[in-house]
Amino acid sequence: MSTVEAKARGPTMPLAPLRSHIPRIALRLLGLAVIDAFTLWFLYQLVIDGVWFLAAAIAIITLGINVVFLREGLYPIRWLSPGLALMLLMVVYPVIFTFYTAFTNYSDGHLLTKTQAIRILEKEQFLPEGAPTYRWIAFSSPDGEYVLWLMSEDGKAFLASPGEPAREVTPGEAGVGPLDEEGVPQSIEGYERLSRIDTVRFISELGKLEFGEPPNTIKISSLDKAAQYQQRYVYDPVQDAMVDPATGTVYRAVEGTFTSLTGEALWPGFQVTTGRQNFQRLLTSPALRGPFIRVFLWTVGFALLSVFSTFVLGLFLAIVFNDPTVPARKLIRSLLIIPYTVPGFISILIWVGLLNPHLGVINTNLKEFLGWSPPWFSDPWWAKAGILLINLWLGYPYMMLVCSGALQAISPELYEAAEMDGADAWQRLWHVTLPLLLVSVGPLLIGSFAFNFNNFTVIYLFNKGGPPMAGTLTPAGHTDILISYTFRLAFASGRGNDYAYAAAITIAIFLVVAAITMFNFRYTKVWEEVSESV
Amino acid sequence: MKKRLFAVLGVLVVVSFTVVGCAPAATPTPEEVATPPATPTPLPKATPTPPPATPTPSPEEITLTIWADETRAPIIEEIGNAFTEQYGVEIVVQQMGFGDVRDQLMIAGPAGEGPDILIGAHDWLGQLVINGLLAPLDFGDKEDLFLDAAIQAFTYEGELYGMPYATENVALFRNPELVLAAPQTWDEVVEIAAELEAAGTVEQGYVLQPGDPYHFFPIMTAFGGYVFGQNPDGTYNPDDVGIDSEGSIAAAEWLDMMVKEGHLSADVDWEAMHVMFENGEAAMFITGPWSLSRLRESGIPYAISPIPDATSDGRPFLGVQGFMVSAFSEDVLLAQTFLTEFAATEETMQALFEADPRPPAFLPVREKIEDPDMTAFGEAGENGLPMPAIPEMSAVWTAWGDAVTLIFQQQTPPDEAFTNAAQQIRTAIAGQ
Repeated sequence: MSTVEAKARGPTMPLAPLRSHIPRIALRLLGLAVIDAFTLWFLYQLVIDGVWFLAAAIAIITLGINVVFLREGLYPIRWLSPGLALMLLMVVYPVIFTFYTAFTNYSDGHLLTKTQAIRILEKEQFLPEGAPTYRWIAFSSPDGEYVLWLMSEDGKAFLASPGEPAREVTPGEAGVGPLDEEGVPQSIEGYERLSRIDTVRFISELGKLEFGEPPNTIKISSLDKAAQYQQRYVYDPVQDAMVDPATGTVYRAVEGTFTSLTGEALWPGFQVTTGRQNFQRLLTSPALRGPFIRVFLWTVGFALLSVFSTFVLGLFLAIVFNDPTVPARKLIRSLLIIPYTVPGFISILIWVGLLNPHLGVINTNLKEFLGWSPPWFSDPWWAKAGILLINLWLGYPYMMLVCSGALQAISPELYEAAEMDGADAWQRLWHVTLPLLLVSVGPLLIGSFAFNFNNFTVIYLFNKGGPPMAGTLTPAGHTDILISYTFRLAFASGRGNDYAYAAAITIAIFLVVAAITMFNFRYTKVWEEVSESV
Repeated sequence: MKKRLFAVLGVLVVVSFTVVGCAPAATPTPEEVATPPATPTPLPKATPTPPPATPTPSPEEITLTIWADETRAPIIEEIGNAFTEQYGVEIVVQQMGFGDVRDQLMIAGPAGEGPDILIGAHDWLGQLVINGLLAPLDFGDKEDLFLDAAIQAFTYEGELYGMPYATENVALFRNPELVLAAPQTWDEVVEIAAELEAAGTVEQGYVLQPGDPYHFFPIMTAFGGYVFGQNPDGTYNPDDVGIDSEGSIAAAEWLDMMVKEGHLSADVDWEAMHVMFENGEAAMFITGPWSLSRLRESGIPYAISPIPDATSDGRPFLGVQGFMVSAFSEDVLLAQTFLTEFAATEETMQALFEADPRPPAFLPVREKIEDPDMTAFGEAGENGLPMPAIPEMSAVWTAWGDAVTLIFQQQTPPDEAFTNAAQQIRTAIAGQ
């Protein structure tokens, strides 16, 4: 109940109910305030981390929650808002992000932002050939200034402080006291020698300082080494390029990599959007000209056969155990559901063990009795059969459950009528059970098809797509389906992982699955018409 | 009531977002992102000076985070405590799976939430360096205390990126009751295998699993084959793919012969290979230190010897494990100091060796090792070639492994299988 609704009931309405709602409204506002406070804090963290995309998505979702809870007219949606919010975040956002990624160069070598990449490249330094190195001791003043006492290999000693040229000093000059046996002054006027403990503790801070006058500054590079390191690359914002001051080479930012005119690239590169490039690469890739057609055909065959075999076995068992005369049917039916309750991951690995040609129970026994056993992992056709067998094991309980439910919904009168008309058991199954069953089960079959179309787990755990196809342009296996083939293309490329390319291929597969599913749904409308005419 | 329930639900939803989204944001370091890129010509005077040293800040202000796997974590924790005691720098050890360290670093590093120090394998270098995730290191004189090959393995494009602690390589294992003397050549291996098989002593004289290029590599080098050609300075050249070189194809033909003559079978996988050796059904196979505990447990007698030769030396891949420092660490020099002062010591290196026995990369410990197995692995790895760390290597494994499998399965003639694999690798490296 809310204020607006209370008002809407007319001016004659007494004010008392409204007043009684005030605590609720206050509570709701408080709830929203808590949500908003959480979100703002979270957004702050995300923005600091530079995760703009997710921050924007969460901001929009939270804004939506606020609107829904504050606008009385949207009252019904309040009930849905948690689900909607989760759906936006867990389904819609990843989909949009995948689309976005497909248009970038996000891959190994291009993980960083441009700012980060420039920072890393500018940190690169080198020691010019023949440049002297020094042992160093740090001294600090009470107001936090540091000087370095540098000892060169040829026995000279220098005093260096930030911004002033390093100079060779002898004890007595510039407040430098007498040297101890290591050659380090016992005192420097205004400074105190940094203890070894503090030297270690503050070594990273000391490492960020440059001692001496630019450009001839000295930096420390380890606990006992300092030298005139030179910065290797400098970023020039005007040319949008990294410049090597020593050679004058200019590395321009080209598609996320600083590249010289001769094609030499500096790593790391950075993330940029690259337009249609990933899709173009997909269309012109040898992966498409090569084993793609074979992989595609097997994908469709695998999905269809998986659905068909699980459905036939599931329906058969459902019909058998639908018959009240079967003894102990409830117990057996419960036992038959067990494969559904064991995580597929485990079942698949157990099956792989059972089918092992050398050690597996199935194969060792077959070998004993028949003198031969199927080469499940090395023969293309037996591998396919093995996968279908495992998938049948994994999938039939679901179909049995679904069919059992649907069978109950078919009116017994229809069977009686069919019997009266002289239909035998087959005809009843074919002309009564199936048409009516498919009305309710049809969409689930399509769902099962779409699921198996992308059933990476079973393929990968069985044999990683193997056995390999011979003579292909890109590595592919006889049991590879599109999604496992994609995995090969995207994560075994010439430069490691290519997430953007993977995203592009995923979108292509999504389009294929969507098209097939649409077609299937249209086809199942036929069944609906059948049910209407019954 | 129900409305209130939904308000509560709403809060829960947002809390759950927060929890989910926050996981990587647990320790935000605002400075990380806020720092602008270093100015081209640094103005030292403008550089903020660190706080004065005399009034020592409280210890928790400086922290080093280390990512280590379960075997290494307790040891690092221990030396971390000693470091904290001496220098007041807190060491936080976060334990995660060995391989997860690399994957997590790629996400957490750029977000400023990664470790300062990580423990990993040298063949990650290429990928981590092109992603800008590792800081170059300078160990000064301490470098001389390490096995030269291990330092070389952690060197990428002329910069040193890690402190090695262990090396690993495969060697030839044989059952000394069946094969008395270590075979020196692959011809001898075939001879012994044929004899033992003919006498019915074993099912297979020598076992190798299909599709496993890592264990095939030593055979390939014995016939003069290679994966990537080496530049004069020892680095690998991605433009010179050697899978279809004369030597590699000779090795492929040898493998084909072994399968054709029934000395090798396509049915034997890793597990079967082990079981056969442990049951005395096989007399020889190639494996590494990771198999030792299993073999010792089985009680089967074994002896370790270098990889046999053929037309040239059999050389295994050399893998090196070590410490690396994240480029996104705020305390690279402190991390480096921790490594040179506390990790590169005999006690630490000895402890690391005892926790997971592999030939140490730290010479003072390596030279003291008395375990005959370790000495044998060390000998077998003396001419080892560092596993290529260049990112192009990711294009090699599958294509190469498939070619080996195709020969095992007798689907493709050996020369064709390897020529095609080389073609697939070149295509992938060309970025098509």
